Amino acid sequence: MADGGVTRMFINYEYDAHIYPVTVEYRMDRFYISYDNNEYTVSAVELSPGALKLMLGDRVIKCVISERQDSKYVFIDGEVFQVSRIELSGKKKAEKKEGDLNSPISGTIVSIKVKPGDSVVKGDVLMVIEAMKMEYLIRAPMTGTVEKVHFKEKDQIEIGQLTAELRKKEA
Amino acid sequence: MFKKVLIANRGEIAVRVMKACQEMGIRTVAVYSEVDKSAPHVHLADESVNLGDPTPSESYLNIKKIIEAAQTVGAEAIHPGYGFLAENPDFAQACADCGITFIGPSARVIKLMGDKIAAKTTMMKAGVPVIPGYHGERQDVDSLVKEGKRIGFPLMVKATAGGGGKGMRIVPNEDELPQAIESAKRESKSAFGNDSVFLEQYLAKPRHIEFQILADEHGHTIHLFERECSIQRRHQKIIEETPSPLMTPALRQTMGKAAVAAAQAAGYTNAGTVEFMVDGDRHFYFMEMNTRLQVEHPITEATTGIDLVKWQLRIASGMELRLKQNQLSQRGHALECRIYAEDPANGFLPSIGTLKKVQLPHGPNIRNDTGVESEFTISPYYDPMLAKLIVSSETREESIEKMIWALSHYVVLGVTTNIPFLKQVLDHEQFHRGNITTHFINDYFKDWLATKRSLPLDAILALAVYDALHPQREEVVRYKEADPHSPWRHTGRWRMGA
Repeated sequence: MADGGVTRMFINYEYDAHIYPVTVEYRMDRFYISYDNNEYTVSAVELSPGALKLMLGDRVIKCVISERQDSKYVFIDGEVFQVSRIELSGKKKAEKKEGDLNSPISGTIVSIKVKPGDSVVKGDVLMVIEAMKMEYLIRAPMTGTVEKVHFKEKDQIEIGQLTAELRKKEA
Repeated sequence: MFKKVLIANRGEIAVRVMKACQEMGIRTVAVYSEVDKSAPHVHLADESVNLGDPTPSESYLNIKKIIEAAQTVGAEAIHPGYGFLAENPDFAQACADCGITFIGPSARVIKLMGDKIAAKTTMMKAGVPVIPGYHGERQDVDSLVKEGKRIGFPLMVKATAGGGGKGMRIVPNEDELPQAIESAKRESKSAFGNDSVFLEQYLAKPRHIEFQILADEHGHTIHLFERECSIQRRHQKIIEETPSPLMTPALRQTMGKAAVAAAQAAGYTNAGTVEFMVDGDRHFYFMEMNTRLQVEHPITEATTGIDLVKWQLRIASGMELRLKQNQLSQRGHALECRIYAEDPANGFLPSIGTLKKVQLPHGPNIRNDTGVESEFTISPYYDPMLAKLIVSSETREESIEKMIWALSHYVVLGVTTNIPFLKQVLDHEQFHRGNITTHFINDYFKDWLATKRSLPLDAILALAVYDALHPQREEVVRYKEADPHSPWRHTGRWRMGA
């Protein structure tokens, strides 16, 4: 793996919409990691696949990492962080549209309270989704008019699917 | 004793029941749906029967299929676990009609206790205190609103056939009552097939304290002390403990007697639980009786040394209860945490996906009841509880320390869990003091979502080491070409789109 003895990698980790640029060099059994204008010299053992013990000076860091197609999970001291890597091609994540009306859960639509053309006040219930025998309410994120309702009662909906569209009332 | 028992459940409780059976030399039969064909409970069983379609009504809730499975394999008894068919009187009756022993109380008792109104009437007659409310027949919204005004606000709307917080609403004022009634009725209809609700006065500083009951078929009824289950989210328990920090020896004796009286009034047999609400002044009121093994039964086992599932099997096979009330005692303190695949920072929404890695904590007096393992997929079909973690120690404070240690070493990767949330609840000053009520999560953790922090340095270092140890071929080439003098190299974290 240490091709020619030295591997240098330049990695951008993304967590919770923040980017963490890191460089890491692996030589002579040591990892030289730069982040935020600091350099850290770390030695490490992989105890079992994904289970790492890092030594940073006299400090020991234990963690478990596992991979999924597009991201990694890091377990440290009872907390889990899901981190992905991104390319610095200047690409930015699509801006989230105001008023998130995407379903928070996969489930069944049990009730629809509005139809296109209805006026709604911020906080009004638009739709009731049932999943795992619990109900989740889709509320109007703003005051305005219902433009489209994408589902009907008893439909199945998947997490992230757009439930309805609203046009904001101009102030 | 039975020679072969079918376990009509899945997940951790199926595994737990099978282990008790196997220890006693009883052959075990698992049932499973299509998505569970390689689940731990199937691997553990001596035999297994495929129920097909994963929809609960076509699998774990399908009485006909389960009875047929039991008859095909020649099982003499069925253990229902909790949830699914455990509190369904039709299932208990169907078993009886086919000459199969249902491991639990009779269909008559399940039906009586399942009807919250009939249950309360029975308790009042037996002299057990109940909460003021409306438990009448009139179910139209107008009548219910009228009764609600009579009881006063805040009040609770509860599904008559309910349980586990489903079909339950807290209503702060009259204006919100009609919508709460409608929504509770709808949820109850879909979960239990019955939309009848009742109203109840809402208690100040309420604590949920329940008593474990064992009753045999020869007239003996005992209690195995209390469990405090006040820490709840969405009206579902997440942390349970015994003894309760509120309890005094005198109150325990009074409540224990009331619990035994309640069970006897119902003609109860097998293991059951009498749930009480206790207010800030230590007044207690009967809430309901759960006619099954409880999720949190292991904390009673940890402090009494009694295996409740084995006693369920013995009682169902007709054995006499050898345990005498005055010979029972509790030692030390036990805590249970329910590990859920859910996101506490997002309204406790269930999370689904494949468990990439599961590593359980081990140590003295740490018990893991689990029905999942690495590479198992959490589907939206069933309850998102993954496992239970139970610890016991000499004192409450020591149990809390042990639980926090165990949770810190509990690895679940691939789906979001409530583990970090549980740790913070346990470490809350008011939890340490034992000042807990059923509002605890709402009172202290309502804005928990705001505490999401940045990626810690340790995680960044660990990822960098991992990626250096496991580079992908094309990356090595690409990163070698990367400009070491790029200004990015000298930047800390930055926000996208900012």
